[in-house]
Amino acid sequence: MTVKIRFFARFRELLGTDIVVAVPKNKGLSDLVKDVASRNKEGYDAIFDEKGAFREFVILMQNGKRLETSDAPKVKVADGDEIAVFPPVAGG
Amino acid sequence: MIAIQTGDVDIGKLVNEAKQQGTGAIVVFDGIVRDDDIREMELEAYEEVALPELEKIASEAKKTYNLLSVDIIHRIGRLAVGENILIIVVSAGHRKQAYEGSRYIIETIKAGVPIWKKELTKDGGRWVPGEHQHGCGAGK
Repeated sequence: MTVKIRFFARFRELLGTDIVVAVPKNKGLSDLVKDVASRNKEGYDAIFDEKGAFREFVILMQNGKRLETSDAPKVKVADGDEIAVFPPVAGG
Repeated sequence: MIAIQTGDVDIGKLVNEAKQQGTGAIVVFDGIVRDDDIREMELEAYEEVALPELEKIASEAKKTYNLLSVDIIHRIGRLAVGENILIIVVSAGHRKQAYEGSRYIIETIKAGVPIWKKELTKDGGRWVPGEHQHGCGAGK
């Protein structure tokens, strides 16, 4: 199955965006983001702390719905999912 | 009109169109690129999420503050100092509703709509930090 990862703002600059990855069934959302972010150390460090947990300001969405980062390790991704990862918003 | 777009809008036209039967007050909020020693500002949005969130904010503001009309136009792309970033036009029967509704809309946008700004300076650029660290506003 495939899942699309979208990074925004600073994360996009470091890691790119609209990254489609093939993943096995029952892949955890946290592990998936870690795998993709590992392509660039600065990008990985911007999103994850030294223990491999999401930094507290990181915002996650699964198919347009916000998801607590603390829940992410338990959440599985499904075929066709769109996962968005971004820093605090600053519109207006 | 609720939109995320690169182009500017005719605010005068929006004001004219906001005058409906029963209108006693129109409030215009116009957020502008400030000259903070920057060359330009670059804005980006998660449009597929941000646009429905703007629509939801407009609808909630209409209901809560008895607004007669709401326009929200958030611009993205590169904008020069002095250009409009965000235009909010609300009409209501009375000024209190119009002021409060407009304030609710801008604060709710800032709290949670996935849009980001980068200030481009002569030395490079810096992302504007969000005022709300967890982006816990609209759409949650």
